[in-house]
Amino acid sequence: MKHLIPEFMAMRRRLPEGFEPSLVLPCLRRIQEDRGHVADEDIDGLAAWLGVPRIQIEEVLSFYTQFRRAPVGRWHLQACRNLSCSMRGAEGVIAHLEHRLGIEPGQTTSDGRYTLSTVECLGSCGTAPVVMVNETYHEDMSPERLDALLESLSR
Amino acid sequence: MTGTKLLMNFEVTPTSHCLADYRARGGYATLDKVLREMRPEEVTKEVATAGILGHGGAAFPAGRKWGVIRLNDGLPHYLCANADEGEPGTFKDRWILEHAPHLLVESMAIAAYALQVRHAFVYIRGEFDLPWRRIAEAVEEAYAAGWLGEGIAGSAFALDLVVYRGAGSYVCGEASGLLTSLEGRKGYPRNRPPRLTVRGLYQMPTVINNVETLANVTGIVRDGAAAFRKVGTAKSPGTQLISISGHVQRAGVYEVEYGYPFAKFIREDCGGVLGGLGLKCVVPGGISTKVLTAAEIEPLLLDHASVAAAGSSLGSGGMVVVAEGTCMVRFLQVLVRFYHHESCGQCTPCREGMGWLHRIVDRIVAGEGELEDIDRLVAISKANDGTTICGMGDAAGYATVGIIAKYRDEFKYWIRNGRSLHGGRLEAVDHEWLREAALHG
Amino acid sequence: MVEIWIDDDRVEAKDGQTVMQAARASGHEIPYFCWHPALSVPGNCRICMVEVEGDGASAGWLDIACNMPIANGMRIRTDSPRVLARRKEMLQLVTLNHPVDCGICDKAGECTLQDYHYRYNGEPSVSRDAKVRATKHHALSKRIVLDNERCILCSRCVRFTREISKSDGLGIQHRGDHSLVRAVENGAFERDPYSDNVIDLCPVGALLSVPFLHKARVWYLEPTPSICPGCERGCSVAIWHRKKAWKLNRLDPAANARIDRVTPRENPAVNGPWICNKGRDLAAVFERPRATAAMIRGAAVELEAAVEQARALIAAARHPAALVSSWGSNEELAAFHAAFGARFSCHVKTDHLPQPGERIEDELLIKPDKNPNRRAATALYPPLPEATRAAFPAGCDLVLVWGEGCDFDALPPGANVVYLDAWRHPAQGRADVFLPISVQTERSGHYTNFAGVVSRFEACFEKPATVADAETLFVALAVPARARAS
Repeated sequence: MKHLIPEFMAMRRRLPEGFEPSLVLPCLRRIQEDRGHVADEDIDGLAAWLGVPRIQIEEVLSFYTQFRRAPVGRWHLQACRNLSCSMRGAEGVIAHLEHRLGIEPGQTTSDGRYTLSTVECLGSCGTAPVVMVNETYHEDMSPERLDALLESLSR
Repeated sequence: MTGTKLLMNFEVTPTSHCLADYRARGGYATLDKVLREMRPEEVTKEVATAGILGHGGAAFPAGRKWGVIRLNDGLPHYLCANADEGEPGTFKDRWILEHAPHLLVESMAIAAYALQVRHAFVYIRGEFDLPWRRIAEAVEEAYAAGWLGEGIAGSAFALDLVVYRGAGSYVCGEASGLLTSLEGRKGYPRNRPPRLTVRGLYQMPTVINNVETLANVTGIVRDGAAAFRKVGTAKSPGTQLISISGHVQRAGVYEVEYGYPFAKFIREDCGGVLGGLGLKCVVPGGISTKVLTAAEIEPLLLDHASVAAAGSSLGSGGMVVVAEGTCMVRFLQVLVRFYHHESCGQCTPCREGMGWLHRIVDRIVAGEGELEDIDRLVAISKANDGTTICGMGDAAGYATVGIIAKYRDEFKYWIRNGRSLHGGRLEAVDHEWLREAALHG
Repeated sequence: MVEIWIDDDRVEAKDGQTVMQAARASGHEIPYFCWHPALSVPGNCRICMVEVEGDGASAGWLDIACNMPIANGMRIRTDSPRVLARRKEMLQLVTLNHPVDCGICDKAGECTLQDYHYRYNGEPSVSRDAKVRATKHHALSKRIVLDNERCILCSRCVRFTREISKSDGLGIQHRGDHSLVRAVENGAFERDPYSDNVIDLCPVGALLSVPFLHKARVWYLEPTPSICPGCERGCSVAIWHRKKAWKLNRLDPAANARIDRVTPRENPAVNGPWICNKGRDLAAVFERPRATAAMIRGAAVELEAAVEQARALIAAARHPAALVSSWGSNEELAAFHAAFGARFSCHVKTDHLPQPGERIEDELLIKPDKNPNRRAATALYPPLPEATRAAFPAGCDLVLVWGEGCDFDALPPGANVVYLDAWRHPAQGRADVFLPISVQTERSGHYTNFAGVVSRFEACFEKPATVADAETLFVALAVPARARAS
């Protein structure tokens, strides 16, 4: 995490005095981007650098769905199953991905390439059904578009 | 078309979100004028006179919220744009972030000037990628061009704007939960009193407005409150961005002038129900608003009073169209699963109640429901009405009570017969997905 | 001053108070789980909802009392039909997933949830669904076991570690009904010397003491007011032991003299509502092996014989000295002074030193001197200096040692030693006369703490038959000067 400190300091400069604790979320996000997940030593390091109690960081990591303390596959496929997506075929999307990847939501393929999750509303209801792959939204998914997506990820 | 356009009034192109295009449309001229010619209280007065109602769901008059901030009280004031947009069915703030980010920046600068704010924030949900990149780029462009930072437009006014990303939590869209998250903690909402305009971010006076609400500020100040009030209706001035989805032919974001006919909007402007099916019901403003049947929306107008008189609310403008043949038990199942997943867990009624609602509906769907379960769902909803720390408990209750009030027969049918009246269907048409799912067992 | 009405009683409340505070100050009961007078207000349990009566124009409304500022003319009802209905509803929800463990739960008999359930609800669960399961026997620390199913997430324990002990040792992980109280992963809670206060704070049987686990039902125990001797703050404590009137006392009578547990006794002048963990472990102090036999040069004798021998040695001594206990009560010190103050060269010793790893001092309760009554003793005599030998008069021929912590190798080699102590120590065989004495829990008396506050402790148990009170012995050993001649 130490190599990220210059970035953290740049973030800090935009914030008013006394806002150091606010850096918890953005720093964790940056650490996770860098390592793929947040490790125990990152928690120690961040708590010390920010001067916040370690328990605060532990709580934050467990509360927000986007933070993880264990790695996921190279491609994290997050399929929305909320209302509009369900009304436009989310169950089929999930079934299709389960079939193609041979895993259920919450699991990772044995080669470590794909992790499948179901998530709640992504704010993309107009282009339902939607799958988020790592940071990117893939909208208007159909069987063909899903297969094309998997094909492009496999390269 | 759906009336006067105040926000979606330019052609979206690959560069229309950039500073140069925004300037060409007259962007930042209003901020410049405000800094040269108006006092902070004059800006607030204009916004209050315009009577704009908040677009996040509560429809609270923005000017009245701003008016609570006491100028020259010696305390730091904070302004926060709520870009968490987590209410299922809602994706209209995303349109503003992607296509009109500078409108938000300019509006926030004007608001910050009015409220004596030195540091402002855009709290954006963590999942948003393109919307985040667009608003982050716009902020950098604005800094580079001197519309943010020290001495804006050669005046004494300075403003720092920070785009702050969430990390996956619906309650961070609740104003006090948002602030607690912005303080680097779990997004736990807070009890009121104190109001956030008295003790908000780090216990300092804070104004939180929805993105769409703020986006309107530039137009209100540029053209004046009177011009704004000419649009829409007397009680609902201006326009609303409606994100429409579900079983609708042309889903998307539409700007609708308040007072526009509800049914006409769905039938004509949005192409009607998917596959030419009949309309069963509509969720008017995000899943936390009470569902309205096709018959009920016929006489309605898209404004607060009309929808409220029908027993519902325009809420966050997240409209979901439901076709005939949709199973409302499965519908409710999706909603209570969502609320259960998102409950922060602080207060007793919501923490225990959301899980209870979810387990009961799951049990009904599994064929193990009893008739008294229906009244129990209503009772749990009532136990969450006015008893919780934040509005999420109430919201889940409204959604549940709304669906059961109109579709109790479907629940009774499933309980008595062990299966759905409508084949358990949430998709409108014999969707290619259903065939997919059947193939894979 | 603000005038409000609670249940038609006129109440004068202070500006800035909440309805909860004003109600409690005026003797009106409003139930609560998460609220606590010494902690911040989270307002999460929702059981303290009260009704604010409307003014005729508007209807009344319900809201939590703990976060409700008082307003002049406000009319509050704590027991209206609406309030009672809401309260019952909230209790239904608190107990929705709470396991019916009462039969095996240590908290039974002193459990707020039990009390409120019977008082305000009293009916079986209306749920047809199985209760949510969670960890049932989680080691929060070596001293505290946590049952997450029983936990109602009031957050008192978490707030205690944030606001009072400041260890930041506890937090709540995850969210919704999957929320779990957990200790921070770096061991800070294990190291928190105030950790056990969360056991008292917990309104249900979620946080339980490991040493006390399944040892006794609380309704067979009674608390006796006492004072912790662990340091010079002298926190007020309650020592719990079997009720003297319990009819099963005849079974296992040795257990009648057992300290079952120690809890804080609220004392605004000394310790507030808290004690540190050292005070919880007083059984380990008082129940060390006792010295029960008087001895002359290591040989066991009758107490009277030993007293006689001691009197003879004291009478014959020309330059007697005394090492005075810093654990002696005010009453014992007075008797000691009357007997020996004039003739003996007295110094106050340090009976107990801090143990390795023990916290020396902090801003909450813990004081550096680990003895309960040095202040009263040093009001009479000087403390024993570092260079112990210098404390004894030239030609010292008798040392009266009272209490623990004496370095016998530092005593003048030729002097006779008369030694009074409660707990067995090897040096007792080396003394010319050894007299066994009672401990604090076997008598009543007073200590004076570091700030001069005088507090009383009561006897919990009978002293062993062969043991004497030091106070009585001092009187018996008091030999007037002219008696020396004979």
